[in-house]
Amino acid sequence: MEMDRRALLSSWVRSGLAGAAASALLLRDGTAARAGVAGESQPACPHFEPRAKRAIHVCLCGAMSQVDTFDYKPGLIAAHGQSLQSAEKPDVFFGQIGRLRKPDWGFQRRGSSGLWISDLFPHLGEVADELTVIRSMVAETSNHTPATFQENSGFRLNGFPTMGAWLSYGLGCESDDLPAFVVIPDARELPAGGTINWTNGFLPTRHQGVVIRPTGEPIDDLFPARTLPEGVDAATRDLVATMNRRHLERHPNDDILAARMRGYELAARMQLAVPEVTDLRREGLKTQELYGVDRPETADFGRACLIARRLLEQGVRFVQLFSGGTFGSPRRNWDGHEDMKANHGQEASRIDRPIAGLLKDLRRRGMLDDTLVLFTTEFGRTPFAQSAADVVGAGRDHNQYGFSIWMAGAGLKHGMAWGATDEIGWKASENVVTWPDFHATVLHLLGIEHERLTYYHNGIQRRLTNVHGSVIKPILA
Amino acid sequence: MPGRHARWLALTMTLCCCAGAGVGMAEPENDFDTRVAPILARRCLDCHSGANAKGKLDLSSRKTAFTGGEQGAAVIAGNPDESLLWERVDADEMPPKSPLSAAEKAALRAWIADGARWGSDPIDPYQVTTERRAGRDWWSLQPVQRPRTPDVRDRGLVRTPIDAFILSRQESAGLAFQDEADRVTLIRRLSFDLTGLPPTPEAIDQFVQDPAPDAYERLTDRLLASPQYGVRWARTWLDLARYGESNGFEYDEFRLSSWRYRDWVVNALNANQPYDEFARLQIAGDRVRPNDPAAIEATGFLVAGAYDTAGQNQQSAAMKAVVRNDELEDMIGTVGQTFLGLTIHCARCHDHKFDPVRQTEYYGLASALSGVRHGERDLSAIDPATIAARDRLAALSRAVSDLEAPALARLRLGQKASLAAPPRPIAAWDFDRGPEDRIGKLHVTLEAGASLTSDGLLLKGDSSGHATTPMLGRELHAKTIEAWVKLAALDQRGGGVMSVETREGARFDAIVFGEREPGRWTVGSDNFARTRDLRAPAETEAAARPIHVAITYDEDGEIQFYREGRRLGRPYQSKGPERFPGNQTHVVFGLRHSPAGRDRLLKGTIVRARLYDRALEPWELANSAASFAVVSSAAIAAELPEGQRAERVRLLTEIARIRTRLASQVRKAYAVSPRDPPTTRLLLRGNPAQPDAVIAAGGVAALRGVESRFSLPPDAPEGRRRIQLAAWITDRANPLFARVIANRLWQWHFGTGLVESSSDLGFNGGAPSHPKLLDWLASELVETGWDLKAVHRLIVTSHAYRQASGMNAQAAQRDAGNRLLWRKSPIRLEAEMVRDAMLAVSGTLDTGLGGPSFRDYEVVKAPGTPAVLYQAVDPSAPGLSRRTLYRAWARGGRNALLDAFDCPDPSTTAPRRGSTTTPLQALALMNNALVLHLADVTARRLEREAGPAAERQVDRAYKLALGRAPDAAERAEAARVVERHGAATLARALFNSNEFLYVD
Repeated sequence: MEMDRRALLSSWVRSGLAGAAASALLLRDGTAARAGVAGESQPACPHFEPRAKRAIHVCLCGAMSQVDTFDYKPGLIAAHGQSLQSAEKPDVFFGQIGRLRKPDWGFQRRGSSGLWISDLFPHLGEVADELTVIRSMVAETSNHTPATFQENSGFRLNGFPTMGAWLSYGLGCESDDLPAFVVIPDARELPAGGTINWTNGFLPTRHQGVVIRPTGEPIDDLFPARTLPEGVDAATRDLVATMNRRHLERHPNDDILAARMRGYELAARMQLAVPEVTDLRREGLKTQELYGVDRPETADFGRACLIARRLLEQGVRFVQLFSGGTFGSPRRNWDGHEDMKANHGQEASRIDRPIAGLLKDLRRRGMLDDTLVLFTTEFGRTPFAQSAADVVGAGRDHNQYGFSIWMAGAGLKHGMAWGATDEIGWKASENVVTWPDFHATVLHLLGIEHERLTYYHNGIQRRLTNVHGSVIKPILA
Repeated sequence: MPGRHARWLALTMTLCCCAGAGVGMAEPENDFDTRVAPILARRCLDCHSGANAKGKLDLSSRKTAFTGGEQGAAVIAGNPDESLLWERVDADEMPPKSPLSAAEKAALRAWIADGARWGSDPIDPYQVTTERRAGRDWWSLQPVQRPRTPDVRDRGLVRTPIDAFILSRQESAGLAFQDEADRVTLIRRLSFDLTGLPPTPEAIDQFVQDPAPDAYERLTDRLLASPQYGVRWARTWLDLARYGESNGFEYDEFRLSSWRYRDWVVNALNANQPYDEFARLQIAGDRVRPNDPAAIEATGFLVAGAYDTAGQNQQSAAMKAVVRNDELEDMIGTVGQTFLGLTIHCARCHDHKFDPVRQTEYYGLASALSGVRHGERDLSAIDPATIAARDRLAALSRAVSDLEAPALARLRLGQKASLAAPPRPIAAWDFDRGPEDRIGKLHVTLEAGASLTSDGLLLKGDSSGHATTPMLGRELHAKTIEAWVKLAALDQRGGGVMSVETREGARFDAIVFGEREPGRWTVGSDNFARTRDLRAPAETEAAARPIHVAITYDEDGEIQFYREGRRLGRPYQSKGPERFPGNQTHVVFGLRHSPAGRDRLLKGTIVRARLYDRALEPWELANSAASFAVVSSAAIAAELPEGQRAERVRLLTEIARIRTRLASQVRKAYAVSPRDPPTTRLLLRGNPAQPDAVIAAGGVAALRGVESRFSLPPDAPEGRRRIQLAAWITDRANPLFARVIANRLWQWHFGTGLVESSSDLGFNGGAPSHPKLLDWLASELVETGWDLKAVHRLIVTSHAYRQASGMNAQAAQRDAGNRLLWRKSPIRLEAEMVRDAMLAVSGTLDTGLGGPSFRDYEVVKAPGTPAVLYQAVDPSAPGLSRRTLYRAWARGGRNALLDAFDCPDPSTTAPRRGSTTTPLQALALMNNALVLHLADVTARRLEREAGPAAERQVDRAYKLALGRAPDAAERAEAARVVERHGAATLARALFNSNEFLYVD
C-alpha cells in the first residue's frame, strides 16, 4: 500500500517536475529577498558571507539552574547553609528566600579546554571543547511564559514573530521540499502556551513553525486524512491541474495563479521528502545508539535530535527542539521548585546523551562547520533555596538576574566561557548578555545584520532585537 | 541620570503647553515663528535638539542656540557673517545632505541681520514635518475638507461620485476603466464581498435573467440586508480587535463568554449602528449605558487581547507592574491604531520618533484606560430576556399558589394549623418554585454545586455550592431569618442554612447546623460574637422531612432560636443587634459565611426562606410555621379536583422549562470589569520602577479640530475618563476617526486601501493614492450620520468596483499595483470564506447566527496546573458546520487549514490579511479531513439533486462551486473522473481549483 502511494506520487511528480524547475521556487525564497511587496521590501539576506547556514535550537522549558550545570561557584559551595548576605531583598517569584544551597552535582574540568561542567551532564562533558558557554545571561522577567517569549521573540508579549519565523522570512529555505522552520516539541507535551511559542506573529503566516512529530504522521495533512481508493489521489491532482491550466489560459499573465499551481507540485515533493527524513531506519544502529534512540529514557529526545540533523541535511533552516512540557504537577519540565535533584536529574537524563550525540555526529560529518547549535533556557534559578528563611530547602525559585546558556558550531570560539556571575552565581556581574545581544549574535552568525532584518508592523519597522542588541564579538572565531 | 530625565521631562511639559496654546494662536510678536522657526524645525532640529544634539548644538531654544555647541556660539545677533550658523549654511555644509534653498537662506540671514529676535521659546519641533518625521502639519491630522467632485471627460462611466475621482486620476495617467464585468462574475464577487458566501445557483439565475436596469443595485440592497452581511464584516473588525477566546501566555485558559462581544459586533453591523456609536460603545459602553447588557458586551473590544494570569498574580509587585503596563500598552496600541490609525503606543518610553505624539500624551491615554481590567461579568440581572422570563416565572408561581391555596388550607387544617394571616416578610423565596424573591428584587444566583429542583434548593456540600442574593439596599438590625430545610445527614458539621452577611463575610448572623454542638442547631455569628450554645435536644427529624427553623434578633439584642414554630433553647442577651449596612449586606443560602469553603457548606435542601426586618413574636412564628408547613406535592395533587390537577401540571411544566432555560442562559460576558485606577504617572523610559509626573487623562494635541484636553483632574472617576476618551475619538471633527474608517472600508472591498497601511496614517504609513477621494468618503460618512451601509453601497455600486478584472499588460506596466484601479483586482478567498464556501457547496452550511462558539479542538487541562492545551479534533465531527466566524479562536488552538490561508495570529491586531500561496496550503486543501468529508457530502448532494448521470452531476457541481456551467470539454473530462472515481473526487478537485479560490 505504502509503495503504491509512493509510486503514484513519484510518477505525478515527474510529470510536474518540468514546471517546478522552470519557475521560481516557493519554499526556497525568503520573503525578505523579494522586493515589491508592501512592508516586505527589505534588502536581500544574507547581508554578508554567513558563518552558519542553519541552526538547531534546543529550548529548555521551566528554567535550568546555572549553579547546578555550567556555572561553577566554589563561593556558593563554601557558603552552603548560610543566609544570603545582601543589602536588597531578593524579588523572587514565590517570595520565599531560604538558605544558600550548594549544587547537587559535583563539577569537573572537561576536555582540553578545561571548561567546568557538572556531573549532571556527563555526556555533554565529553564534548566540552565544542561549547561556547555564556554564563552572564539576564532576562527581563522571572515569569516563565513571558520570559520564554522573550527568549524566542525578543518580546515579553504574545504576537511577536519567533526567531525561526524571522529566519524563514529573512533567509527562506535551502530545500524545495521542506519548510524553513520546523519545531519538534517534547514528546510528553507541548510547552506552556502551545503553538504560540512558534508563531509567525505579524509576519506572513507561512513563516510559522511547522510541527514535525517524531512518530506517527509527521506533519498535519501531509497525506489524505483517511485512506482513499487507489487512483483517487492521482486523479484528483490531474483534474486540478487541468482545471487550473484552463483557468490560467483565461487569465493570462497572472503570476499568482501560476504560483499556486506550482504549490501543488511542491506539495507532492514534500510528501516524499518528509517521510523519508523522519524514517530513522535509514540510520545505522551505531548512529541510533549514539543519540540514545535505543534507551528508554533518551529514546524520545534522541529521535528528535536525529530527525533534526536529517532535516538540516535536507536544507531546513531552523529546527527548534523543546525539552520539557508545560508547568504543573507532576513536573515534566525544568521547573525545580520542590526538589532540584529529582527534577533536574530526570530532565537531564532525557537529553544529555542525545545532545552530546548530536554534536559528535555533526562534527564527524563536517556539518558543525556551517551549523549553529543553540542551547538555552528562559532564565535561571536562585542560588538560595525556595524554602523558609532558616532552612536549606530542596528546591530553587526563578532567577532572572544571571543564568547560563551555550552555543556551539560555526563561527564561534569553542571550549570557552564568556561572562560571569557574582560569587554565589546569583547575578550576572561581568560582560552581561541580554536576549537581544544573543539574538543579534545568532543573526550575525547567519549572515544577517540584526538592524536590517525588519518588517513593518504597527507603525514601526519591527526587528527581532527591538531597538536593542549588540553582537557578542569576543566569542566569535 | 534621574536629573537629566527630570529636566527632559520639564522640557517636554513646557512644549506641550506651547503646543496646546499654539492652536489658532494670536499674532506672533515678530516673524520668527512664521518664517524662521519652521526652517529650523524642518531642516535643523532633527539633529540639533534634545539631549543628544549633534555637536552639542541645540537650536531649539533661545538660550542654547545663542550659547552654541562644541564649536562655540552659533548666532551673533545683527552679524550674520560672524555667526557660525550662517557660515555653515551659506557654505552648503549644513544641512549635510540637502542644502537650504536660496529663499530659506535669505530668511535666515535677514533674521540674524535684524537682531535675531527669538519668538516662541523653545521652538515647537512638532510644528512642521521634516524629512524624518511628521509634524502637526501632517496631512492626515488636518481637518477633513469635502472636496468638489472633479470634472471628467468620460461622464458616462460615472455611476457614483467615486468614479469621478478615480477617472480624473486615470485620465491624467493615460489609463482607463474596463467594461462592467459579466453578471455571473458580478454576483459572485458581490456575494463573497458582502456576505462571505458564494451565491446559490437560484440567486445566480435570478440575477442573470433580471432585465431591470437596477438589478445590480437591488442585489446590493438584498445582500446588505442579509444577516450574513454582519457575519462576514464582523471578521474584519475582530482582526483589528486581536479577538481571541483564550488568555494566551502560560495558562491560555479558555474564555467561555468572549463570544458575547463577537455577537455584539455582528448585531451592531447588521443593525447598521452608526459608526461613532459603534466605536463609543466599544470604548465606554459600560459607562455610557450601564443598564444595557449589550453596551457592556461591546467593551469586550478593550479586553479581547491576551491576559497574563501567572504574571498578574505573581508575588513580586514590581514584576506585576511590568505586566500591567505591557497590557496597557497593548490596549493603547489597539485603540490608537484601530480608531485613529495612529501608533500612540510608540510613545511609551519616549516621544514618538515619527509622529507628533508626546510621551505625556501616551500617559494621558494610559490614564484614560487605567481602570480597564479583564474579567467576566454576569449581566443576567439587567438582561431583558432574563428579566422577562423571571417575571413570567413569578406570574406562573402565583398562579400555582392561587390554584393550590384551597387545597393547602384544607390539608393544613387537617394538621391543626392556625388560619390567621402569616406575618409579612421583606423578602421571600420558594425555592421549589424558582430562584426569585417573591416580594422584592433579591433573586438568588446559584454557584457551582447548587441547583434548583422541584423540592427546593439542592446543596451537595461540595465545590462552592451555595446561593447568593444581590445587596439588600436597606440597613438591617432587628430581624428574623426563617427557613424550611431538609438535611442530607445529621452528622454534618458547620453548614449554614441562611446567613445575613456583609460583603466578604466579615460579619454574619446565620442559622447553622452542628457547628459547636454536633447534631444540634446553632446561632451562627462572626467569631461566635452573638452565639451561645442552645443546650437544646439534638435534631432527629430534619433528615427525614423539611422542618421549620428561625432566629429572631430584637432591637435590644435579644436572640431566640425557633424550631417548628416553637422556641428551641432559651432567649439570651447579645451585644447586638449587629447593624448590617444596606449596600454591603446580602443573604446567602447553604453557606455559613463567605468565602465558600467546604466546612461552611450545608448538605441538604432548602425549600423556602423568609427575611423580616423585625423580630417576630412567638405566635407569629407559630403561625408562619403552620401556614407554610411543607406539604408534599403528591398530597396537594391528590387533594385537587381532576381539571385543576391537569392545569397544575401544565403550569409546573412551564415553570420547569423556563427554569431550565434560565439556568443555561446566564448572560455572562468577557468584558471590561473596571476597577478604581491608581494615579497615573509618566514612567521614565516606560519603566514602572521610574515613576515621574502625575498625568491626567487626555488625548493627542496634534489632531486638529478636536480639543485634546479632557478637563479632568488626575483622580477623576475612571468612567468619566473613558467617556471623555470616547467623546474625543468619535468627535465628528476628529480628522483621523473618519479618514481611518473610510480607508478601511475601501481596503476591505478592493484589497488595498487608498492608504495601504490602514492602521497607520502617520509618517511611516503610506501616502494616499487618492487623497481627495479619501476625504470625500470621510465627509460622506460624517454627513450621513456615520452610515456604514450607505458607504458600502456607494463603493460597490461604483463602476470602479463593477468593472472587469482582466489583465491589461500596458496598464500593468504603468501601474503594476493597480493603485489607479484600471481593473478590479481579483481577490483570493479569505480562510473563513474557503471553509464556508465548501460547506455551502456541500449543502450542509449552518447559517445560524450567534451563541457560544464551536470548537474544532478539545480543551485539555494539563495536570497540576491551571494551564490548558488545545488538541485538534476530527474537523468533520458533527456540530462543526457553522460559519467559520463562530469557531472558538483560542490563541493556542489554531487551525492548520485556516492558517494555511493566512488566518492571522489572534494575539496581534491585523489590519490587513496576507494572501500567500505555499505547498502547505496545497497539502491542507487536498488532505484535510474536513475537505475530504465535505467532498463526500457534496457527492451525495450531487446524486440527490442531479440524479445518477455523471454529466448532470458535473453541471450541478460547476454551478454550485463556480457559479457557471462547464463547457463541453470540461464536462466530458470531469464526467470521466466521476464515472471512474465518483463525484467526491470531482468535488475535491473543484475545492482545490484556482477558480474556486479566486474571485474575479
